[in-house]
Amino acid sequence: MSMQMALPIAMIPGNSVIHRINPLAKIVWVVGYIALAFSTQNVFLLYGMALFAFLLAPIAGVTKPLLKGALILVPVASSLLAIQIIAPAVEKPWTHVADIGVLQLYGDGLYYGFVLLGRVVSCLLMALIMVMTTHPSDLFTSLSKLKIPYAFNFMLAMTLQLIPVFQREVGIIMSAQKSRGMKGRGFAAVLPSFVPVFVGAIERVQQLSISLESRGFGSNGFKTSYRQVKVRPSDWVIGIIGALLLATLVTVSIMRGLWSVSSLVVFPHIFVFWLFIVAAGTFAAIILATLIYAFKK
Amino acid sequence: MSNSATATQGVTGQPRASERAVDIRDAHYVYPTGNVVALGGVDLRVEHGEILGIIGQNGSGKTTLTKLFNGLLKPTSGKILINGIDTSTQTVQQMAAHVGYVFQNPNHQLFARSIEEELKFGPRNIGVPEDELDERVAQAVEFFGLKDYIAEHPYRVSFPIRKLVGIASIVTMRPSILIFDEPSTGQDHNTTHIINGLMRRLRDEGTTVICVSHDMPLLADVVKRVIVMKDTRIIADASPREVFADKALMARTNLQAPQITEIALNTVVPRGGHVALTPEELAADISTRIRGTAVTPSSTAR
Ligand SMILES: Nc1ncnc2c1ncn2[C@@H]1O[C@H](COP(=O)(O)OP(=O)(O)O)[C@@H](O)[C@H]1O
Ligand SMILES: [Mg+2]
Repeated sequence: MSMQMALPIAMIPGNSVIHRINPLAKIVWVVGYIALAFSTQNVFLLYGMALFAFLLAPIAGVTKPLLKGALILVPVASSLLAIQIIAPAVEKPWTHVADIGVLQLYGDGLYYGFVLLGRVVSCLLMALIMVMTTHPSDLFTSLSKLKIPYAFNFMLAMTLQLIPVFQREVGIIMSAQKSRGMKGRGFAAVLPSFVPVFVGAIERVQQLSISLESRGFGSNGFKTSYRQVKVRPSDWVIGIIGALLLATLVTVSIMRGLWSVSSLVVFPHIFVFWLFIVAAGTFAAIILATLIYAFKK
Repeated sequence: MSNSATATQGVTGQPRASERAVDIRDAHYVYPTGNVVALGGVDLRVEHGEILGIIGQNGSGKTTLTKLFNGLLKPTSGKILINGIDTSTQTVQQMAAHVGYVFQNPNHQLFARSIEEELKFGPRNIGVPEDELDERVAQAVEFFGLKDYIAEHPYRVSFPIRKLVGIASIVTMRPSILIFDEPSTGQDHNTTHIINGLMRRLRDEGTTVICVSHDMPLLADVVKRVIVMKDTRIIADASPREVFADKALMARTNLQAPQITEIALNTVVPRGGHVALTPEELAADISTRIRGTAVTPSSTAR
């Protein structure tokens, strides 16, 4: 029984090529991804972006935690697609594909559903890759170079640094409760354990603020950083290629009226039908499992 | 999740007399995060009613070892038998009836609305009936001196008191084996005294106690057997007197014998005196040497 119930949103230590890329170059890619994802409706491009981000994971050695983090996409994807099939977010007339009882299924909204999902998937994967391969302090130093307001930058860095600390605390607290024979695994049974977590968090924040004040947090002037972040020629190359490539794609996309290729993509009726069955089934199963989990004592 | 172990052993988790309290064979443990080897082959047998101290530098594997006892960690390889039960077949919740584990930091343990509720949580989980709960709580409140705090929220009392509550909340479960991880760290004089008394009471009641501690005087006072850990292994297993007198061992593990023992080792021991563990022992030894007779016969009774 593992003591860690790690939420995979913290840095995974390592020394891969990806880990060594300068945080600024990575920020360029993440920002570029977000810009491109929201200025295109080309599904091939969107899922190409997602695939590219995903292929970075084995290089960085974070495939497993990345997949864990991407689990959040299962309910998002299944609900999104199921809803687009029964209630397309496009203008009528819709083409009727099939019936399941009183439900009427349409294929028209599906393209748009895949676009929305592609945006979420590509941006999430890229952002996770960045967070998992960048030391919060390095990110902090890099962002200050960008003249991001110090207080904002600090909040971001603290949040990222505290996540693994809290993960560890949650693990210890859960095992302390189990050692006292805590019954049940439902949400209601686990809830009391979070009292110590929150108390610990508040105490920690109080101590942190005192310690920050005593060290002159908020004073003006130039700030130096203990961690030096090197910018190597390769970082320039990666950053500039990212900026150029993504900016070009954004421009092309916008010039082509968001580059929608919906006319090229035709979903066979049988595909829509089975997609609905799978998506709605998955979503229903998740809801059911959550309810059972919550009320089982 | 079945409760068969609790059912056959009864709510107090009384051991079958034929079994050892703890029987560990060649236990290895590797933390999956980062592949840290924390235990590299540990053998340990503890009889019922023994009071065992575990010492060793930070990171030597003490906490990991004790977490094997109640199944919080399952060994990577090797076998852990507790009261004859293989922990690998049990959940932590099932083991809770046999093994009480007092965590180092009470803040990780306490969550109830009041100290009274806190003390009832564990025993209620292992099926102690309500009327007996009240009796156990009353006893604990008396012993730990918690009368004035009983209705308080556990987080509103001082740290030493909170630590006592953490200990009391496990003691009320009356497990046959009790594990303490650093019970006296961060304690004041008064609570240290109570913890000392608790160890003695548990010994008299026949509870098996396993105590990880840096508090050498505490160990010297109540423990009959000390295990020394270094770099994932047990490197010594003897009486506190033998362990503390072994200067090479203490130096190798960066540990310090109780000050009294150090003084004895540097004064009376080279002249044929014996290794003292308490001030009384040393005083007796010295006064015999000075006057040829002890000052107060009563203080030599140990
Ligand atoms: N949750 C954990 N994940 C990874 N390594 C750990 C974890 N807990 C302890 N360790 C490592 O295992 C070793 C033994 O630790 P521990 O049993 O806590 O020692 P001690 O209690 O004697 O200080 C140390 O090297 C420590 O860094
Ligand atoms: Mg420890």
